[in-house]
Amino acid sequence: MFTRKSSVRVAVSASVAALVLAGCSSATDSSSSSSESDGAPGEGTTAVGFIMVGPKDDFGYNQAVYEGSEVIKEAFPDVEVLTAENVPEDDTAATTMEQMIDKGAKLIFATSYGHLDAALKVAEEHPDVVVVQQGNTITTDIPDNAGTYFGTVYEPMYLAGIAAGASTESNKLGYVYAFPIPQTIANINAFERGAQSVNPDVETITVSTSSWCDPGKQQAAAESLLSQGVDVLTQHQDCTSTVIQAAEKAGAMTVGYHADASSLAPEGWLTGAVWDWGPLYTDIVQTVIDGDFVGSEYNDNFRVGYKTGTNPFVLAPYGPDVTDETIAAIDEAQALLGTDEGSPFVGPVLDQDGDTVIEDGVVPTYAENDAMDFFVQGVVGNLAQ
Amino acid sequence: MSTVQTAAPVALRWVGALAAALVIFSILLMTKGANPIDAYQGMWQSTFQRSRSIEEIFIQMSPLVLGALAVAVPARAGLTNVGGEGQIIIGAVAACGMFLLLGDGASGGLILVAMLVASVVAGALWAGLAAALRLVAGVNEAISTLLLNFVALDVLLFLIYQPWRESPVGQPATRELVDVAKLPVISGTKVHIGIVVAVVMVVVVHLLINRTRWGFRISVAGGNSEAARRSGLKVSMLVLSALMIGGALAGLAGMIHFAGVEYKLRPGFGSQLGYTSFLACWMARHQPFPILVAAFVFASLSVAGDSLQLDSGLPAASVNVLTALILIAVLGFTTMRKKANA
Repeated sequence: MFTRKSSVRVAVSASVAALVLAGCSSATDSSSSSSESDGAPGEGTTAVGFIMVGPKDDFGYNQAVYEGSEVIKEAFPDVEVLTAENVPEDDTAATTMEQMIDKGAKLIFATSYGHLDAALKVAEEHPDVVVVQQGNTITTDIPDNAGTYFGTVYEPMYLAGIAAGASTESNKLGYVYAFPIPQTIANINAFERGAQSVNPDVETITVSTSSWCDPGKQQAAAESLLSQGVDVLTQHQDCTSTVIQAAEKAGAMTVGYHADASSLAPEGWLTGAVWDWGPLYTDIVQTVIDGDFVGSEYNDNFRVGYKTGTNPFVLAPYGPDVTDETIAAIDEAQALLGTDEGSPFVGPVLDQDGDTVIEDGVVPTYAENDAMDFFVQGVVGNLAQ
Repeated sequence: MSTVQTAAPVALRWVGALAAALVIFSILLMTKGANPIDAYQGMWQSTFQRSRSIEEIFIQMSPLVLGALAVAVPARAGLTNVGGEGQIIIGAVAACGMFLLLGDGASGGLILVAMLVASVVAGALWAGLAAALRLVAGVNEAISTLLLNFVALDVLLFLIYQPWRESPVGQPATRELVDVAKLPVISGTKVHIGIVVAVVMVVVVHLLINRTRWGFRISVAGGNSEAARRSGLKVSMLVLSALMIGGALAGLAGMIHFAGVEYKLRPGFGSQLGYTSFLACWMARHQPFPILVAAFVFASLSVAGDSLQLDSGLPAASVNVLTALILIAVLGFTTMRKKANA
């Protein structure tokens, strides 16, 4: 009996396999690009999709995105807003975007740095759909229906560094980060340079977690930094509460990221870089609906900052220990960052080995800062390359 | 007992279990303010009435089938292989290493075969570490295979952060496979041939554990190792080989996922594949053919997860709740069956 049953199964499976094999061919002949469209990519779209790498209530990056998408809902009542959270930074992201396109979305915000590969793949397959990516940089030719956008988050991190440098007693600041990507490197460097501007002896010790949100690793990283005598913790993570709570519990100070988390650290909160995507998202959606995306500033690696006056990243409210003197120094620095001469990276900038990377007096552009691949002097940590 | 008589109740129990899980999940949906009927309708339409989704199910199924077989073979020898996660990563790492070594020069067929062999060997050796630890130091393989997952992840991270990193600017990842090193797809679809490999391996594993002397011996060793030893079987070799074959299958799963879907190694490569496969194998009670069904169910759920978010506005974790409910319901019903037959 057993034998007969399994022989049948084997026979069935084998024939299925044979059928499928018979249908095999090479990968090249199947990539047919879909949909020819009359209008401009994304024009008149009735739905907009947002994919997020983490949960939409993470006290951080994804929450800021989600709040931005809520602004779109209000600003465009006729447009359906589709959101998907916990979308990983691999090919699954393309699958989710495809589902959104099937539901009518002709504009998709792929909001995590690592969504870029999938975003470009989807853009290539759907010329009538606009895909914009948040935070990464397209280094190849930019297709007509794609672009990236971001603010210069290292500018407020520079200002927050001033608060940290003025407040530290151990002269050791701690930085928990995810990946050594230019955006993060610029943040860390700006933070250290901000701190150095008021406290030349200060150093920033870095730990990477290789994940945008892994509370277990964040806890371990925070504890490791605190045990080395760090008394101000900050981070580049998507979900921020774990590190902030670890700092508060240990009596250390904290600089927040993405969201105002002063409620989590009433004692140790200094300030932080907080995100307000609403106005930028609204303008992108309007541009796409009007059919004006191609050739617009968003059909590019679009960057805003204090110099352009529309940075979506602003400084969070100050905590109790930040002195008026420090606040005055921050205000002054912020005003300078808005001018042509201002930058967190006005030369001379030395790398960890003491070699000059940016010459004396040189003010690097936003684009140059977006390609930063070295730690400045004063940052402790090995930048794997 | 006749085949026909047992087959029908088994199918009925599966249907009953799935229905029970869906009913319980409906309650959860209602507490979240969603209409269960609309939610299920949305899931059904976006999963089974959309050709792209059906293709996606078969794509996601392939590594799950192989990963589950990687649990099933050692299970026959009484071993618990929780190391699929790491073996999948190591298989993909070996495939990627082979690609980087051969570069762009090799022709299509050759480079794929080389990558495949590398992944199988690497997966087997990685699992062999756990087998060796068990034989030499008496370390339980459930622990060692699990812990080796973390080592495998660190190996992956080291490689993509340093020697294999595509560019110092940008998220750590290897460079993309050239076209000839990507798995071909089944014509007219986007499904790569990994599903064919998976189905073939189900048949092979079925024959291996049910039709060969080796298959009989590992089940004897798994049933009662002392009895096996006294009847002259080399239990240590059986343990080693069963776990290594498991590792080889998981390594193959890694290669399929890498060369069929991802094309690049990234920090989260294959995340949760091994653990999901482990659950799929338990759901199929370690039997090769039911593994196909279980993997199909898990892959469908994964694809349906998007619909729960996009159509019903539910949190991303909802689909995990549904998956867990289905798993518990199915396992619960199969346990009942065992008692009834005893």
